[in-house]
Amino acid sequence: MNDHTGKRAGPQVVHQLIEVMGTVVTVDLFCSAGVGSSEAAVPLAKARAILQRADSLFSTWKNNSPMSRLRRGEISVADAPPEMVEVLERCAEAREISGGWFDPWAMPGGVDPTGYVKGWAAQRAIGAFAAMAIDGALVNAAGDIASFGGPAGERNFRVGIADPLAPHQLACVVDLAGALATSGAYERGAHLINPHTGLPSALMASASVSGPDLGLADALATAVAVGGVDALARLESIDGYEALGITFDGSRLLTSGFVLQPVPELR
Amino acid sequence: MLATVAGLVGVLSFHTKPSSISLGSLPGASSSSRSTTTTTPPTQPTSSNPATAGAPPSTTTSAVPSTTRTATGAQVNYNFGVLSVTVTASGKKITNIGIASLDDGGNGRSQAIDQQSIPMLEQQAMQAQSANIQGVSGASYTSAGFAQSLQSALSKLGF
Repeated sequence: MNDHTGKRAGPQVVHQLIEVMGTVVTVDLFCSAGVGSSEAAVPLAKARAILQRADSLFSTWKNNSPMSRLRRGEISVADAPPEMVEVLERCAEAREISGGWFDPWAMPGGVDPTGYVKGWAAQRAIGAFAAMAIDGALVNAAGDIASFGGPAGERNFRVGIADPLAPHQLACVVDLAGALATSGAYERGAHLINPHTGLPSALMASASVSGPDLGLADALATAVAVGGVDALARLESIDGYEALGITFDGSRLLTSGFVLQPVPELR
Repeated sequence: MLATVAGLVGVLSFHTKPSSISLGSLPGASSSSRSTTTTTPPTQPTSSNPATAGAPPSTTTSAVPSTTRTATGAQVNYNFGVLSVTVTASGKKITNIGIASLDDGGNGRSQAIDQQSIPMLEQQAMQAQSANIQGVSGASYTSAGFAQSLQSALSKLGF
């Protein structure tokens, strides 16, 4: 614990890194005056517990996780913990909404909802801060971001979207309204699987989806990255969700409600 | 300044070079859940003047000296060995980020990290400072060790 400003009366930001789910989740709480790390301690512990439980349930790396056991056929969905039933139902909805471009059941090695779970868990985790007297909160699960509110005096947060063709640069900046997820094949080689062929492939260099729920945004971002224009066009009819796809030649395709802000020059 | 630190750690949690730092993707890494908490002062609006952007905020909130300081973060295990990150700051502006030490057990990862990742991470951090953003969304490859050591270096510098 490093608390340099705990005695300060004015607004402050409580920042925490949580190493979980094979990644680092960063939490930033933009606190009003009089609220600080001591008030944040219990909600932070709750958020951490939510993320850890998601990890223990859904990890495909851990041999004894319920997800691994389900994949091996040792348990059925009927025997699974209620969160797993919920996630698989949501995944089935995302599969339908995306026209099959997001399909955990088409993954090699058995059902794999990983593309939904990280966003789902981060969205649940941010709920731990809903009752706090704060201006805003950000939960960034390694590039997939859940949020509410904004910095003091501002309506929303601003976040950059990494440029998939020049990963050290930002492609654009967006005003965050809720959640934003980005998927792309540049992440770690060709890990995106085309559900229709079972083979690694992606039609977009990266795809970002904004919307109220990070779990669905995460799934739809994967769908657009894999399915390209066909998947992106389907988002036009999904209330509250917008998409930005960046093609391998650098072209940008946006749904009608996706608003880009200019990227400030690097100084 | 909070945007800088929050954005910075967010940026550095985000990584795109699978060949260099690839922490946290193995079962061992995901079984732990260490965490650190820091508290930073609130954002100062970013000035459009490069000369003042990132300058220390007013004296009522700044406890950070305006001199240039360097700190090295904790040595942290990652998939291929042990690394630590060093940060240099002038006032409340981060001016340099680099690898202080890296022991990869001779598997050749260090060269990739030095040549590819560090310039990329540094530029991301600087752009996040300049853009007044609070995070970066990207298909990410997270360096848990890098972020942890960075966080500990930032703490030593009073961020």
